[in-house]
Amino acid sequence: MRSDDGVDAGHAARRPAGAGSRRIQLLLHLLVLRPLMKLVFGAGTEGRGRLRELDQFILVANHNSHLDLPLLFQLLPRDRIPDTHPLAAYEYFARSRPLFRIVERLFRPVWLARPGAEAAGTGVLGPAGSTAADVTVEAAMAAMERHLRAGASVVIFPEGTRGEPGRIGRFKRGVGRLAAAFPDVPVVPVLLSGPERALPKTAGVPLPLWTRAVVGEPVWPVRGTRPEPSDELAGRIAAGLERAVRGLAEHERARRQRRYAPRRPGPSVAVLGIDGSGKSTLSHALAGRLSEAGRVAVVSDELAFFDRGERSLLRPPLTEKLRRALSRRVKRAKSLKSYKVPKMLELLLRDRATRQVRRWYRPRAMVLDGCPALNMTAWARLYRDGVEDEACAAILRAVTGTGSSPARDDPLFQRFPELKHLVRLRLTPLERPDVVLFLDVPPPVAVDRIGSRGEARQVHETEEKLVRLRDGYLSVCRALESMGVPARVLDGDRSRAAITTEAVRTVRATLGDRLGALGDRPGAFGGAGPPADAHEDARV
Amino acid sequence: MTLEASRWALAGGFVLLTASLPLRRRLGLPRPVAIYLPYLWTFFLVFALMTLGAVTLGIWTLAVLCFLALREFFTLTDLRFGDRWGVLAAYAAIPFTFYFMQTDWYGMFIIAIPVYAFLVIPFVIALGGEEPRGAVFSVGVIVLGLMLMVYCVAHIGYLARYAPWMAAYVVLAVAVCDLLAFVLRARDRPALQSALLQLLAPAPLTLGLALALMPWTGIPWVPSVVLALLIPLLVAIGCHTIDYLEADFGIERDRLSPGRGEILNALKSFVYAGPVAFHYLRYTLDAF
Repeated sequence: MRSDDGVDAGHAARRPAGAGSRRIQLLLHLLVLRPLMKLVFGAGTEGRGRLRELDQFILVANHNSHLDLPLLFQLLPRDRIPDTHPLAAYEYFARSRPLFRIVERLFRPVWLARPGAEAAGTGVLGPAGSTAADVTVEAAMAAMERHLRAGASVVIFPEGTRGEPGRIGRFKRGVGRLAAAFPDVPVVPVLLSGPERALPKTAGVPLPLWTRAVVGEPVWPVRGTRPEPSDELAGRIAAGLERAVRGLAEHERARRQRRYAPRRPGPSVAVLGIDGSGKSTLSHALAGRLSEAGRVAVVSDELAFFDRGERSLLRPPLTEKLRRALSRRVKRAKSLKSYKVPKMLELLLRDRATRQVRRWYRPRAMVLDGCPALNMTAWARLYRDGVEDEACAAILRAVTGTGSSPARDDPLFQRFPELKHLVRLRLTPLERPDVVLFLDVPPPVAVDRIGSRGEARQVHETEEKLVRLRDGYLSVCRALESMGVPARVLDGDRSRAAITTEAVRTVRATLGDRLGALGDRPGAFGGAGPPADAHEDARV
Repeated sequence: MTLEASRWALAGGFVLLTASLPLRRRLGLPRPVAIYLPYLWTFFLVFALMTLGAVTLGIWTLAVLCFLALREFFTLTDLRFGDRWGVLAAYAAIPFTFYFMQTDWYGMFIIAIPVYAFLVIPFVIALGGEEPRGAVFSVGVIVLGLMLMVYCVAHIGYLARYAPWMAAYVVLAVAVCDLLAFVLRARDRPALQSALLQLLAPAPLTLGLALALMPWTGIPWVPSVVLALLIPLLVAIGCHTIDYLEADFGIERDRLSPGRGEILNALKSFVYAGPVAFHYLRYTLDAF
């Protein structure tokens, strides 16, 4: 079942480890990994004795970093190292063959391709005899049960992903299901603190900082009973374990200096629409109405501020000047082909200009007339046939850096090579707005409006192309909603005042507190920012 | 005293200190004293290595201690994500500084951190940082950590490079002051009285130590006396300053552990005494 040139995934769990392989794993841990973790990351432990007293266990821990697993293995008694198998994200590690082999050799994990990520994973590996079925949730659960039946121990990060640094996420039910199936195996909650700072999810280079693992009291959630397995029971056990880890976090809360609560940047509202839909007009009207609470920036063909309804122009940064020069060239393009590259560059420069306005002028809110990340995604439909909602969502995630980044040879990159260059050149992630309004105007109406302007038409300003673009924007809105970003469609074939009123009402309803808190800040450049994050309690 | 005898004496002292380490729990030493001993031992390991000829090894052992101390300092600090490269630059300043100590390039050693590292760190942060808010604070914190935990501690290493016994005397005198301060502070005394005692009480002991070690250190009478009086003052200043910072760091005295203020607490008296004693001796003796 294993090919020499491929990475064998699901079979790893079934293959019994040879004595030589176990010895090498143990030596690698004792001579390389442990000293390295100790020297570079401190790797302090507390409560290791609790594990020594147990023959077998299910370790559950919070998960924020790739350092979590090496730190967790610091806790294990020596003789348990080869017999402890973590559950590891197959689609993530399979992106790099050397990395996959290192993890396989060091931890002998049970691989699991997280739902929604199978396509990327199987696309990378493709070993003879290995199929996507080997790394499904069911296969991984079966492998974990086999290990437990054989007397081995397992490690699970029940949050399922590394999550936000320093915050404990919701525990998923899988751990509860496993604990219910093995009532005599104790579950040991472990709190890991420090890795989220030493190597957080978004960092490429680890930083030497102290890390610490604290072992909680082992629990037997259903010992002595033979309960019927159910989702409800699994959920209850998972919630109990989550409380245990949170309890450790509360007890073990890192005693370090707190400078101030991180300031949340002012929210941004993106107004989308096909050409001639009136989105620039709406952007300005919306900014004017929102500016009653403070200065609101508009990023449109001009950069402007609205303060209590009064409009003033901003001094454009260099990137904005470049963008304008490029924009003039874009408008003169004769074909979609010659339009593509300069337009993409223009969008990148606009994204940069948006960040610079936020950085230097600190607006209380921003209204974006179009949004580079969303425009790029919608434009994919203009250039490629058959871009479905799923592909649209994948492009949007890649462009905005949401979720795990796609593998290098992800099929998505084969369809959209431009996206590959963007990611490879580190030009992503682009800004993701907090609220999106799509001003929906029938393309024939938009074409009439464009014609009445009396200006030269751009290459894509035809009814047929605007229909495709409109479909693209609607697809983007659906993708945004699936990512948890409110995206509302406004009927644009109405009076300007009616559209503005509805837009303001929608923004206020979706942003709620974030807009309300803006009014409390004393000045555009000063102020202590909003009060401490409401979720601060969950910090480790 | 011959060089050979001097070497054996320092090595013997080091062996004694080593023997006390595993016994410190059994001896029932108070916790602040017990956690202090391993760092004292590290200093004497450095001196013993240097006395026995392994100068390079001694220097880089001290570099590891500085790295651990700096890592703890940064762990305790609320740094921003955008400060990562600045923190890495600060770590890189350790080998940069210690290399000059190893090659005995005093001019570069003394400016490596205050000139180069202090200029490079803000530059690196500005280069990578998107969000400027808090940058001034971050630069200040990183630079302070580097100054206290590396630059100041490294002075003791440079002194040891020149004369291990002089460095051993400075470290021993600081340790005497620390232990006495612990004993005095353990009793409930009014602040002024406690401060005066902290300044005056160790002086006879540091003076006695200076005179007793004079054959080894080679420090003449007058500088010995000045140093014996200066060290308690520097220790008091160092302790007071770092105690003040510890409060902001959120360090809890009863929960000291590596990474949670133990190293900072153990080294706090050395950070003022080390560089000042070094420069006083260098200026007075005009020999290195």
